[in-house]
Amino acid sequence: MEVLVFSIFNGLLYGMLLFMLASGLTLIFSLMGVLNFAHASFFMLGAYFAYQISGFIGFWPGLVFAPLIVGVIGAAVERYGLRPVHKFGHVAELLFTFGLAFVIEEVVQMIWGKVPVPYDIPETMNVAAFTWRGLDYSAYRLFMLGASVAIFLALFVFIAKTRTGLIIQAALTHPNIVSSLGHDVGKIFMWTFGFGCALAGVAGVIGGNVLGTEPSMAITLGPIVFVVIVIGGLGSLWGALIAALFIGIMDNLSISYDLSLYPVLALFGVEREVEGIMQDLVNLTTAGLAPVLPYLFLVLMLILRPRGLFGTRDV
Amino acid sequence: MKTPAVELRGVWKNFGNTEIIRGIDLAIEKDTIHAMIGPNGAGKSTIYNLITGRYHVDRGQILLNGEEITNQTPHEINRKGISRSFQVTNIFHRMSVFENIRCGMLWHRNYKYSFWNFLGRQGELNRRTEEIMVRTGLASRRDVLAGMLSYSDQRALEIAITLASGADVIMLDEPTSGMSHGETEQTVELIRKVARDKTLVIVEHDMGVVFDLAHTISVLVYGEIIACDVPQRIRGDRAVQEAYLGTEVA
Amino acid sequence: MAGLVRRHGMWVAAFAVMLVLPWIFQTGFAITMLNQIGVLIVFSLAYNMLLGQGGMLSFGHALYFGIAGYFTAHFLNGVGEDWLPYFPVTLLPIFGGLIGLFFGIGIGFVSTRRAGTVFAMISLGFAEMATALTLILVVFFNGEEGIQTDRMVGPEPLGITFGPDIHVYYLISFWCLVATAAMYVLTRTPFGRMSNAVRDNPERVEFVGYSTHRIRWLAFALSSFFAGLAGALHALNFEHVGFETIGLEQSGLALFMVWIGGARNFVGPILGAILITYLNSNLSDITDAWYLYLGILFMVIVMFTQGGLSGLVFMHEPIWKTDYRLFGRMMAPYALGIGSTIIAAIGVIGMFEMIYFLSTRVTEETIAVLYWMEVDAASALPWIACAAITAPGVAACRRTYPPMANSYNEAIAAVKGRMAP
Repeated sequence: MEVLVFSIFNGLLYGMLLFMLASGLTLIFSLMGVLNFAHASFFMLGAYFAYQISGFIGFWPGLVFAPLIVGVIGAAVERYGLRPVHKFGHVAELLFTFGLAFVIEEVVQMIWGKVPVPYDIPETMNVAAFTWRGLDYSAYRLFMLGASVAIFLALFVFIAKTRTGLIIQAALTHPNIVSSLGHDVGKIFMWTFGFGCALAGVAGVIGGNVLGTEPSMAITLGPIVFVVIVIGGLGSLWGALIAALFIGIMDNLSISYDLSLYPVLALFGVEREVEGIMQDLVNLTTAGLAPVLPYLFLVLMLILRPRGLFGTRDV
Repeated sequence: MKTPAVELRGVWKNFGNTEIIRGIDLAIEKDTIHAMIGPNGAGKSTIYNLITGRYHVDRGQILLNGEEITNQTPHEINRKGISRSFQVTNIFHRMSVFENIRCGMLWHRNYKYSFWNFLGRQGELNRRTEEIMVRTGLASRRDVLAGMLSYSDQRALEIAITLASGADVIMLDEPTSGMSHGETEQTVELIRKVARDKTLVIVEHDMGVVFDLAHTISVLVYGEIIACDVPQRIRGDRAVQEAYLGTEVA
Repeated sequence: MAGLVRRHGMWVAAFAVMLVLPWIFQTGFAITMLNQIGVLIVFSLAYNMLLGQGGMLSFGHALYFGIAGYFTAHFLNGVGEDWLPYFPVTLLPIFGGLIGLFFGIGIGFVSTRRAGTVFAMISLGFAEMATALTLILVVFFNGEEGIQTDRMVGPEPLGITFGPDIHVYYLISFWCLVATAAMYVLTRTPFGRMSNAVRDNPERVEFVGYSTHRIRWLAFALSSFFAGLAGALHALNFEHVGFETIGLEQSGLALFMVWIGGARNFVGPILGAILITYLNSNLSDITDAWYLYLGILFMVIVMFTQGGLSGLVFMHEPIWKTDYRLFGRMMAPYALGIGSTIIAAIGVIGMFEMIYFLSTRVTEETIAVLYWMEVDAASALPWIACAAITAPGVAACRRTYPPMANSYNEAIAAVKGRMAP
C-alpha cells in the first residue's frame, strides 16, 4: 500500500517535471511549427546555471535567475539563429535545433566537464517533511510538487487571461492563424520561444538536483518529452498534462513493483529454464522494461489513434 | 439518356458550423466543356476539392461515369480518370519543367512504383512529355527548375501537368489567372484543342473566355447552383444577372 | 571499352581509384580509415535517399544499420560454431540488407504516413526504443559490450581469408561501389522521380495518381536495405557490433555527413562521409573540442546554405560551363572572404582550445600547447592574443562577405545574359 502511494507521489512529481518541458515544447510547436530538438538542452542549462549560481549565492536566487538567463538565451537563439532559418522551412529549423542540442552538450562538457556536477538539494529542505509507515518523504520533493503545480496554474492563467495567451490559444487550435496576425509576430515568436525555454529552465533548476546534473541529461529526457506531446496530441496542453502524468506514474510503478513477466509467458507454456533468445524474455521484469514503455506507448498510439489523446490534428 | 461524365447528387459540405456547399445537383455530359462561374467565395474551388477527393463530402454522392467515387482518396480518383489543376500554382519546385510534366504522366503510362525502369530509356514516355511541353509552349524552358519560372510559365506548367495524365475528365481552376492577353488567347486555344475528345470543367473569372469556350455553364452563388444552362440562356437569365453578372454582360 | 569509358567515365574512374588507393595509403591506420569511409559512404547515401531524395528527416535510421550489424555478427558466429550452414562471407552484406529491408518494411509502414517534423519525431521514438532494448535483450544484444565475431569462417577461395584488413578493404569497396551505383540508378527510375516529387510537393503527388504514403514507405524500405548492407559491412570491418551503432549518435553522424556534404545532389553524402571520417580520425586525437567544431560547422551550414559544401561547389557550375574566365573577377573577393574566415576561426578556435584545456585538465598545470606553441592558459596574454586575432577577423568577414556575394551574383548575371537569345 505505502509503496503504491509513494510511487504514485513520485510519479506525479516526475510527470509534472515532464509537463513543464512538454508545455513549453507544445507552445512553441503550435505557435511556430518548430519542433525544438534542443528543448531538453535548455532544461540542462537550467540545472547547470542553478548549480553555478547556488554555489555563489544560494539556491533561491538560482531558482529565479537561472530560468531568466535560460529564457534570454532562448529568445536570443530564436532571434539570431532560428529566424534566419525560418525561410528554409520546418525541417531546416528542426535541423538547426538538432545542431544546437549537439553544440550545447559539447559546450556544457567544455565548461563543466563530462562527469556529473554536485548540484545538491538545498540543506534547509534536505529533511523529511513527514514519515508515513516508516518511509520518509523529503521536504524538497514536496516543494518540487508545490512549485510545479504553481507554475502549471500560472501557465493556465497566463494563457487564459493575457493577450499573448489568447494568440497562443488561437494558435493551438488553428495553427495557420498566426500568419495572418499583425507585424508583431516576430516578437511574439521570440518571447514564446524564450518563455518555453525558461519553463524548461525552471524544470532544470528544481529537477536537476534530484535527477542528476550531467551532460547526458538532455538527451536522456528529450525524447521522452517528444513522446509526451505526441501521446497527448500535438497542440493540446491538457493532453500533454495527462500524458506526462501517465508516463511519470507508470514509470515509477513499473520500477518500484518490479514484477516479472514470466507468469504471462508461462501461460503460453514457456519453461523457466530455456536457452538462447527466450532467456531474455523469461528474465524480463517491469523495471527492466520501464525505459522502453514510453516508446511502446508512442508506437501503439500512432497505430491506434494517430492524433493522440486530445489532439485535433492527425499526426 | 447518356451517363454523365461527372455527376453530383445532393452534395453538402460544412466547415465547422458554416455550410459552404448546400445541396448541389449537377450533371456534366461527356465530351463537353462545362464552365462554373460565380462570385468569390461561392464555393467553386470547394466543389473541385470535393470532386477530386481533397475534402470529404458531408452528405450526398459524387459519380464518375456512373461509378460512385464519393470520399475516395485523391490518388484513387485521379487514377479513375479525373485530372485537375490548381488555382494557386502547385508544382514541383526543385524539378525541371520536363520532370514535372513527366511526373504527371508516370502513373497513367503504367509505371506505378517501378524502381527497375530506367527513365532515360523510356522513349515513348519521353516523346509524349516533349509533345506536351511543345503544346503548352514550354519547350524552350525544358531544363529550367520549375521554381525559377516566371509566373505565367508556372501557370502553363500547372496546366501541362494536369494534361499529362491523359485523363478523360480535366478540371481547370482559373487556368488563365494572371496571364497577359496574348497568353490567355494561347491558353484558350490549347484548352479547345485538348477538349476535343474529353470532358472539361473550368472555373474562370474571364467571362470572355467562359462564353467563348463553354457548352454549358453553371452559376454558383452561396453554395447553391442558381442556374445551369447553355451560354445564351445564362446570358439572358434574370436571376443570374441580378445575382452575379450585373452589368458586365448586358 | 572506349564506349564504356565514355558513357560511364565516372564509374570507371571510381573503380580505378578504389583499386589503387591501398597502394597509395599503405599504413594500417589509412586502410582502417578507408574501410570506415567505405561503410559510411553507403550508410550516408542510404540516409540521403530519405532526406535529400524523399524529404524525410530521420533521427533513427541507424536502427537498420545497427540491427543488420547484430544479425550479421550472430550469423557469422553461427557459421563459425557450426549451428548454421556455411554462407559465403562475400555475400553477407546482402543478408544484412535483407534484415534492414525486413525491419524497414515493418517500421516504415507506421512511420511514413506523414513527413516533416512528425516523421522525425516518430523515427526518434523507434530509435530510442531500440536503444533501450539493447540493454534489456541481453542474449541478443549483450548490453554495452556488444557482440564479438570472427569474419574468418569457412573455405578460403583464392586465398581470400578476410583476415588482413586489405582483404576487407576490397570487400567493402566492392560493395560500396555496387551499392552506390544501385542507389544512383534508383534516382533515375519512376520511383526515384516520384520520391523527389513527394519531397517537393506531397499534395500535388496525390493528384497525379500516386499515394504519398506508398512512395515514402517504398523509399524508407529501400533505404533501410542499403543501411542494413552498410551495417553488415560495419560488422565485418570491426568484427564487433556495439549498442552505439543503433542509437541517435550514429543516425546523427549520418545526418551531419549528409547535410555538411550536401543533401541536394548525389555526391554530397559521399563527400561528407569522406570529409568527416577523415577529420574524425585525424582531429579527435589532437583536440577534445572536435565535436564542438563539427556541431558549429553543421549549424553554420544549416543557417546559410541548403546545399551543403557540395552545393557551394555546384552553384558555380553554370559559370564554369559558360566561360571559366568569369572566375577571374571572383578570385580576389573570394580569397579575401575565405582569408578573413580563416583568421576569425584561428582566434575563436584558440579560445575554445584554452577553455577546454582549463576545464578538462586533471593537474594544476596551466601550460597548454596551442598552435604548436606553449602558452600559459592561466595568464591573460594568450587570451588577449586570441581576441586580437578574432576581432579583426570577424570585422574583416563582415566587410569581405558582401563583395564575395556580389562577385558571384555578377558572374551569374553575366551567365544569364549570355544564355538569353
